[in-house]
Amino acid sequence: MVHPLRDKAAVSGIGETAYTRGTTKSGLALQLEASLKALDDAGIDPRDVDGVIPYFPGGAIAEDFIANLGLKDLTLSAFIPMGGATCVAAIQMAAMAVTTGVCKHVLISVGRTGYSGSRVSTRLQQFPVFAQAAEFEAPIGMFAPAQLYAQGARRHMELYGTTARQLAEVAVVTRQHAILNGNVVMNKPLTVEDHHASRMISDPFRLFDCSLESDGGAAVIVSATDRAKDLRKPLVTIAGVAEGHPDSPASIAQRPDILEFGLVKSAPRAYAMAGVGPKDIDVAEIYDCFTFTVIRQLEILGFCKTGEGGPFVMDGRIALGGELPINTHGGLLSQGHVVGLNHVIELTRQLRGEAGKAQVKKAETGLVTGYGDMGDGSIAILRRAA
Amino acid sequence: MSQAPIPVAPAPERPLPTPTRESQPYWDGMREGRFLLQYCSSCGKVRHYPRPVCPHCFSMESEFKEAPLGGTLHAWTVCHHPFNFFFKASAPYIVALVDMDAGVRVNAQLHGIPEGELKIGRRVKLGFEPVNKEVTLPVFVAE
Repeated sequence: MVHPLRDKAAVSGIGETAYTRGTTKSGLALQLEASLKALDDAGIDPRDVDGVIPYFPGGAIAEDFIANLGLKDLTLSAFIPMGGATCVAAIQMAAMAVTTGVCKHVLISVGRTGYSGSRVSTRLQQFPVFAQAAEFEAPIGMFAPAQLYAQGARRHMELYGTTARQLAEVAVVTRQHAILNGNVVMNKPLTVEDHHASRMISDPFRLFDCSLESDGGAAVIVSATDRAKDLRKPLVTIAGVAEGHPDSPASIAQRPDILEFGLVKSAPRAYAMAGVGPKDIDVAEIYDCFTFTVIRQLEILGFCKTGEGGPFVMDGRIALGGELPINTHGGLLSQGHVVGLNHVIELTRQLRGEAGKAQVKKAETGLVTGYGDMGDGSIAILRRAA
Repeated sequence: MSQAPIPVAPAPERPLPTPTRESQPYWDGMREGRFLLQYCSSCGKVRHYPRPVCPHCFSMESEFKEAPLGGTLHAWTVCHHPFNFFFKASAPYIVALVDMDAGVRVNAQLHGIPEGELKIGRRVKLGFEPVNKEVTLPVFVAE
């Protein structure tokens, strides 16, 4: 049976601000600026938005959108507190809302002053799921994701022989792609030597294994396919979408397998909903909070077997022109950290044929993931309408 | 006109656990130098971190019992960047994730074993490190 959500909703509008380090704008202003761009991209009157899912914690609540954009009748407001998995999980909620007729157009937005405002260790205190880590792990000197996820990376290296050279490859290729984009924080070439010479943060993660602290806003509009096909831009449908939560969701330490993320559960559901498999994916935007997180997700997504993610990323395979181009915009590692909503925007551009110098030829079906909190995993498979 | 004294930034405070009603016995045990874990009174299975319901049989009855201190290394990281400035003075430090013989995992700093000698499966032992009158934290040392 074809899943009732398959291709019934579409990404109808995308918008983003400049990605910078240093802004005088508030998180709310960044979200509204990106939202207005996304609405213009779609050709939708801002007042017709009737669903809003702002990033939490991000300085905006749905009511701010009524006050600023004059929404006439908001029928859905929600937060999805899944850290980096939030944005792609929001696509699922938005697709459900527009497919059932609860909403016409759902706005998903992120605005972040991650450089000029509060930094990562402050923001984490606001995440409900970090309460357990705050009690049991912060006192022993371990609280930031770079520390909490490093143990999994180290275990993968010990078990499978994954190397720092392979982690570096993800950073280097992502930077090459960023330079083609233009709207990025990091616009100078990065070499493997630069990566290896960067300071150690939490072994095995060096500075250039870690995503950016940056300022910026991004927004995406989800509409029912029947409505989106009459809007301004080429139709990109949501073929499959899913969120997943790992066992022991608030504590990586207590998880039976510390290398199992929510994506282990959500990826098979999204593939089944879309009726496609890894071989059908032309381009993938993989949540890259850390280089290793990309390598492990490629395994979980079925592009290679567990333990083979390190060799998989080598030899140009994940670069433009390779077998599976990933993070063609520069990702969180080099473009900017808007919690992965920039990944959704880039995938939409690729499938519309709007990706400029980074355009993947004949990109018809693509995949985007979110990864966050202690390993929540979301995934969306988008495709260009035939 | 005399200059105002230059203010001295207070020393950063160590982040300390805030025990919950569920976890209080665990921290009381730590303070007494005992490794107490929560066992289901109905099915007998151990669970960590402490929580109200047994996820195996859904019983809400439980008891804290002393557990063995040995375990094997599951993974580790060496923390160089002090995300909390309290830890700046002691960085780099090793945080070890250990498969306790009791059947749970514990994350704690590892003392006395050089980074180059770490490998998965290496035996270690849980010890106790008092940080003030109220709070004692687990620490791993060579068995």
